[in-house]
Amino acid sequence: MQQKTFVVKIGGSILKSGFPESFLKDLKSLYEHDKVVLVHGGADLVTQTAKAMGKEQKFIVSPDGMRSRYTDKETMEVYTMVMAGKINKQLVAWLQSYGIRAVGVSGVDGFLLRAIRKKKLIVLDERGRKIAIDGGYTGKIEAVNKEFLEALLNLRYLPVVAPIAMDDEYQLLNVDSDRAAAYIAGALKADAIVICTDVEGVIIGETVRRKMSVEEAKKNLEVIGHGMKKKVYAAVEALQMGVKEVVITSGLKEEPMTQALNHEVGTLIVYE
Amino acid sequence: MKVKCPECGAEFDVPDDVIVGEVVTCPDCGLELEVAKIEAGNVELKPVQVAGEDWGE
Repeated sequence: MQQKTFVVKIGGSILKSGFPESFLKDLKSLYEHDKVVLVHGGADLVTQTAKAMGKEQKFIVSPDGMRSRYTDKETMEVYTMVMAGKINKQLVAWLQSYGIRAVGVSGVDGFLLRAIRKKKLIVLDERGRKIAIDGGYTGKIEAVNKEFLEALLNLRYLPVVAPIAMDDEYQLLNVDSDRAAAYIAGALKADAIVICTDVEGVIIGETVRRKMSVEEAKKNLEVIGHGMKKKVYAAVEALQMGVKEVVITSGLKEEPMTQALNHEVGTLIVYE
Repeated sequence: MKVKCPECGAEFDVPDDVIVGEVVTCPDCGLELEVAKIEAGNVELKPVQVAGEDWGE
């Protein structure tokens, strides 16, 4: 059977009490048959660590309703430490303990993720009016070094990617991990992305949607909550970049990826 | 306060309590404009330059 390429995104919310064993087992079985890239988040741990170091985090909301951390220089340092250090290396160790040949990288390594730094961010102030503020250290991904990933995958390694990118002045930037997974999958023309989070899928009203087209996903962006909105946005982008399907699902279930790829759980988003 | 769009030249009103950094939209051409300076009741506008949406973790 021909090998497929999958990108799996694991949210920090799943890792709060260690790496779920069911997830590890399933990742191993996927890795044994196919090529897999794992992209991780970990925003909550960045916030906790920054707080413990006496650096309170500020969050901002864009006029489109995207909520995110305001990344100043000190925050970027903590972010790098936690994402490329603690989380990435712990994940690699867990994967290796399961016999997976994991390699931890950030988007900086091997020029993996290049981004354009945001000069300005538009946020809503306390009066609900739009204000332009200094962009801090966040960026929009512009290019993915797919040859680097392909080389690792062809050597049967499983790359574990921390969501840090670099701009053309070699500055480290905070990039959203769902979007990083989308761009990586787009560059690799992956067969699917499985976005694993701590809820069962995209919930509209009180129901988990089992399947959505790109058009439906775009139309519903306004009624989807902050955290899920970014995932749906990333899913739409990935599909537009040639990824065949995206499943947003709970990573806390048994065989989360296998079941998602069999369309038994989660929300399947496809271009149709 | 009356302001002038630097792109299309349209004249429009902004709130009197407008502050530097605030973003207003030209009703004629739809361009988003940032308040660059307020001096003696004169409001200077410049187009807002932002890359596409990506907001980090």
